[in-house]
Amino acid sequence: MLGAQLALNAVALGAAYALVAIGFVLVLNATTAVNFAHGESVVAGGFAAVALAMLVPAGSAIPGIILLPGVLVLTALLGLAIAALAYLPIRNRPPVSVFVTTIAFGIIVTNGLNAAFGAAPRTAPALLGTGTIEFLGVTASRQSLAIIATAALLIGALAFVLQRTQLGRQFRACAQDPEMARALGIRLTRITLLAFALGTAFAGAAGLLLAHQFFVTPSDGAGLILKAYIAVVIGGWGSLRGAALGAMLIAFFEVGVASVSSQPLAEGLLYVAVLLVLLVRPDGIFGEPQRLRA
Amino acid sequence: MSAALQIDKLTVRHGAVVAVTDASLIAAPGAITCLVGVNGAGKSSLLRAVVGLASSEGNISLGAQDISRMSTEARIRAGLAYVPEGRRVFPGLTVGENLLVSGPSNARARRQRLDDALDLFPHLKPRIHDRAWQLSGGQQQMLAIGRALMARPDVYLLDEPTLGLAPQIIDDVAASLRQLSASGAAILVAEQNAGFAERIADETILIRTGRISNP
Repeated sequence: MLGAQLALNAVALGAAYALVAIGFVLVLNATTAVNFAHGESVVAGGFAAVALAMLVPAGSAIPGIILLPGVLVLTALLGLAIAALAYLPIRNRPPVSVFVTTIAFGIIVTNGLNAAFGAAPRTAPALLGTGTIEFLGVTASRQSLAIIATAALLIGALAFVLQRTQLGRQFRACAQDPEMARALGIRLTRITLLAFALGTAFAGAAGLLLAHQFFVTPSDGAGLILKAYIAVVIGGWGSLRGAALGAMLIAFFEVGVASVSSQPLAEGLLYVAVLLVLLVRPDGIFGEPQRLRA
Repeated sequence: MSAALQIDKLTVRHGAVVAVTDASLIAAPGAITCLVGVNGAGKSSLLRAVVGLASSEGNISLGAQDISRMSTEARIRAGLAYVPEGRRVFPGLTVGENLLVSGPSNARARRQRLDDALDLFPHLKPRIHDRAWQLSGGQQQMLAIGRALMARPDVYLLDEPTLGLAPQIIDDVAASLRQLSASGAAILVAEQNAGFAERIADETILIRTGRISNP
């Protein structure tokens, strides 16, 4: 039963990581640029939840799921700000320029959160209350189940939009050949803004999901962007499905190794494992032929 | 009747290199105009400049509308459609998705146009759920023209539509272009296959080292 509980914890952690990695790929596919402020967007989502919870009168606890729409909206606006200030003005410059501007934007977010909330860890409300429930002999935390359900809902909604709507088709066309998409009349700037809004909102949702179980501090962004980056590299650069699977693998690795040793060792071994994967499969475990992404 | 495309003293530069110099031509509605020249003559540069993918000087108008200063997206909305060299279909999208992606925002109108495109290219019908990369070169060319058709443009710009295609497929491409032309659209084809150009063109224009010989 311990194995089943560990697996459930890993799936919950992987679900939150998957939101981060998918958000990262949405922007990557729309721009071919890496948004290095993405980790800070996760942190911003956590602090948005903390701030929204503070608006509720003292003594009354509000479930995190009620805060989710507010967090999604606030972080989507943050995504639009990243696009407008750190990407669109320099999109025709070499990619390294976008690296620098998004890193700078991330630093601004970190320092802004530090100034507003302080450096101490904060916690967001649980999604649907705390405690555990018994199911088929397995004791599962409510938060883990709620994380899995929320992430599944968001990812399912995104998959529906991408696969079944005209906007989704245009989004995927832009990811595969942006110039040709423009030559068909698709408004590339609009798709880019949407990618930043959606991608950052996904990061923000992950921030809310993680901020209850693992706390949140303003400086957490670097570790989170690194995990998203690793998920995308082992999942195949630009593949949404690969990013989700990569995120799940990372979570299983971390939870599995941490259960027999410690969290710091698990994190250290994760990077060793990534190096080994890339030595054997440079395109990642689920790497796909170029330009078939999204 | 669709609008004519008029190009007046168009010059296209790629950095310091002048690819097209003072080119002027008219692609008339209901006619196929072929721009014929060897590789590197400036045909592709001219088409890319017309659609706004290459910067240029000079005037480009569609009917009475000056589109010279418009973005690529606005030129497409104004009535241009571009079928590039090498087809450039979206490989990871299905045949149906490739067609639908350039259709109108109204879902019912989009479906109707999809049916029309499949009527013009019946070979694509059984492949509708296949990914575009799974198609042969000829089928991809049909798909690229069909994708352009979805926007119901006034003017089609086609860059080397017969490149790498078998003779039978070239006949099919010619037939589909004649059908589009008969519907009233203006068609401007950049082509180095002089035989094909001679077969389909209502007017042939020669381009050499970026200059039009007989405007």
